[in-house]
Amino acid sequence: MKTKANYKLTLICALAIATSGLMMAQDTPQLSDPEIASVAVVANQIDIDYGKVALERSKNKEVIDFANRMIEDHKAVINQAVALVTKLGVTPMDNAVSQSLLTQSKETLKKLNSVSKKDFDKTYIDNEVAYHEAVISAVKDVLIVQAKNAELKDLLEAVLPALEAHLGHAKMAQSKISK
Amino acid sequence: MQTLKTFGLKYVVISGILVSAFVLLMGFKNSENTHKPISHTVTIFKMKYNPEHLVVNKGDTVVWINKDFYQHDVTDFPAKKWTSKPFNKGETWSKVITEDTDYFCNLHKVMKGTIRLVK
Repeated sequence: MKTKANYKLTLICALAIATSGLMMAQDTPQLSDPEIASVAVVANQIDIDYGKVALERSKNKEVIDFANRMIEDHKAVINQAVALVTKLGVTPMDNAVSQSLLTQSKETLKKLNSVSKKDFDKTYIDNEVAYHEAVISAVKDVLIVQAKNAELKDLLEAVLPALEAHLGHAKMAQSKISK
Repeated sequence: MQTLKTFGLKYVVISGILVSAFVLLMGFKNSENTHKPISHTVTIFKMKYNPEHLVVNKGDTVVWINKDFYQHDVTDFPAKKWTSKPFNKGETWSKVITEDTDYFCNLHKVMKGTIRLVK
């Protein structure tokens, strides 16, 4: 629960910082499309990194299958995002949200690498549930709403069902691990 | 005369019964034989099988086409007696349906679908 709260707080703070200056101007978007593209790539890469740690540390088939799926699916999203920005001639732009996500992920990676083997599976899956819940909120309530380019919006909308499927899958794994 | 009349009536009745039975039998036979197996398509898109629930005749083929940019599969649920194995965007997999079937995506376990035979 603490992790979930941390993610939500981080995302809210990051979005507030990123948009505070822009909020002053009327009708000005809070995040530009290049910034949204950056957030999308960073958020996907973070979950790939978590998955790689799980492959190194877990012996649980449920966890390993889930981690492999996260790596494959989030790679597929990054490939789509890269293909789109290349087509649009846009360069993803670093921003406070991306930076904040990276800072939080460093802490999480440290925790995933240091937690005892016995507690690893639960720590990893609990984090996956919290992370996907936070990212779903951000994609649904911020990124899709603010994306201006129709193809970028389409891509974000196509990603949302996958994130929701991942969350459902993570919760299934979580209920088995908790038993 | 009476005997001849009775015989004639009997002949007509028996013939009628025979013709009716023949027509009925042919009818039943036809209804079984005229159903030529057809193909149904299930599109996999945005992490869903569409249609999620399908009704087919025994012997029909169901073709699944993956339109997501993620890999998917079609696997018997819950026993995993058969599986398509993962397939990519633009690829298809098909199966002849001979019984009621529940299936899911073994890669994204929340994705599920059903196929029922016409009763």
